[in-house]
Amino acid sequence: MIPWNVLVTEVVKLRRTKITWLSWLAFSVMPIAGGLFMWIVKEPERAARLGLLGQKARLAGFAADWSGYFTFLLQAELAGLILASVIAAYVFGREYSEGTAKNMLTLPVSRHWFTTAKLVVILGWWIFLTAAIVAEGLFVGWFLDLPGFSPSLMVESVRRILIEALVIYLLVPVVAWIAVLGRGYLAPLGFTLFMLLLGNILGATGWGKWFPWSIVPLVAGISGPRMETVATGSIVVLVLTFILGITATIWQVRWSDNTQ
Amino acid sequence: MATMPNDPVIRTNGLAKRFGDVRAVDGINLNVRRGEIYGFRMLLGLIRPTSGDVMLFGTRLKPGNQDAMRRVGCLVETATSYPNLTVRENLDIQRRLTGSPRNAVGDAIALMGLEQYADRRAGHLSLGNKQRLALARALLHQPELLVLDEPANGLDPAGIIEVRGLLRRLTDERGVAVFMSSHILAEVAHMADRIGIVDAGRLVEELGIDELRSKARSCLSVAVSDPAKAVALLAARLKITLVEQTGEHGLRVYDGHGREAEIARILVSEGLELTRLCHEEEDLEAYFMRLTGGKP
Repeated sequence: MIPWNVLVTEVVKLRRTKITWLSWLAFSVMPIAGGLFMWIVKEPERAARLGLLGQKARLAGFAADWSGYFTFLLQAELAGLILASVIAAYVFGREYSEGTAKNMLTLPVSRHWFTTAKLVVILGWWIFLTAAIVAEGLFVGWFLDLPGFSPSLMVESVRRILIEALVIYLLVPVVAWIAVLGRGYLAPLGFTLFMLLLGNILGATGWGKWFPWSIVPLVAGISGPRMETVATGSIVVLVLTFILGITATIWQVRWSDNTQ
Repeated sequence: MATMPNDPVIRTNGLAKRFGDVRAVDGINLNVRRGEIYGFRMLLGLIRPTSGDVMLFGTRLKPGNQDAMRRVGCLVETATSYPNLTVRENLDIQRRLTGSPRNAVGDAIALMGLEQYADRRAGHLSLGNKQRLALARALLHQPELLVLDEPANGLDPAGIIEVRGLLRRLTDERGVAVFMSSHILAEVAHMADRIGIVDAGRLVEELGIDELRSKARSCLSVAVSDPAKAVALLAARLKITLVEQTGEHGLRVYDGHGREAEIARILVSEGLELTRLCHEEEDLEAYFMRLTGGKP
């Protein structure tokens, strides 16, 4: 069990940080953008008057109904892969960028608790952001009075979004490890972008279900045909990636030289 | 593990660290006891030695050694803190993680004179106040061993004297051992009881401050219009030969003690202009340079 004080101090460290509300702001734009999309498709006359934006909205092929909107939200959640990496890069990387790691590591607390507490804080943050996007999406859909709502559609769509959010979180420890290894923000962000690119390519080749960063776009249905259920092989790969990420981060924090 | 009052707080055995081909620390053995201020650059479990080990309070230092680290306060390299948090919030993190009582934060703020900055964000503090915050953090849980790297960094002259007095009080009244490193050797000489001089990763000498004073060479500092002629005169007339020329007109005379009047008389009578003749004590910096073969 994580010592309560370690967990509390990890939360306190986020007080007044811009990234907390900026991440929420960035994520909450998605359902609104989707809503705008739906509105344009729903109102073709007004869409025509909007010029390029209207044409693009039509080209995307979304139907202006709940099914189309949920599909959009599922794809928008993919942006969360970058966002979750940014959050992990910040929570772990800041200790090195701001030079506080050397203070943290000389405290009378087992070093693995810092890693665990940070991952728990990121999980809490991630749950909040996912819940916010779902709640906001439901509100926007209701506000636009989109047709085709059914409780079963909602449950299935929310379930898929939550699976996608879980898959994204399982990749967070590897990003945390890169942040500790690279002692800052840049390395994990570069790593995530590269993995995302690689994941998209592999997703299109049919090998995607074996590569962790391909699985998220596959679940979202962005690269290749949408993965209706996460394949057993993919679950194994994701769990292994998660365990490897946590182990590597704990090892790195505990044993690597801190020459700051 | 219980330690006796005279047991070393820190003991290193053949401590060595290599970064590739670079020998950063090369086989260092030293002991630091309670109530001592020790000048030396150190490792604190932040870097793993390539060989050898560090004993803190009689137990081998390992990363996250909780029992030992609970008794240690430190300021490593630059003073850093969470810039988005206030002074009080930064110290409260330290309080929680060291298991200190609630009043420890207020006490540390008062000890370092940070009352008027207590609710200011650390990122908005001056360099000197950041240093005070770092010292307050190091002292908050009343450690038995303080490990300080460049503790006077960023402080104004009054602040330096204040910190010097504070460290002296902690060692004298609470028996705290201070393991301090600094590149400002005059500061080390002012604060330390015992000094370890490290050159190219090796501990070349370890000595007490009194020993340093007795070992430090003193000389006569002379300024004359023609140093070359003065050197010849001192050798021929007074058999004074340990003379070193410094600058255009300066001389350091090492074997002329007690003969100041003779030196002055001969130099002046031979028509040289004598503009300075005084005693000069070798300071730690000069001693360090002499010991390590460096040129001032």
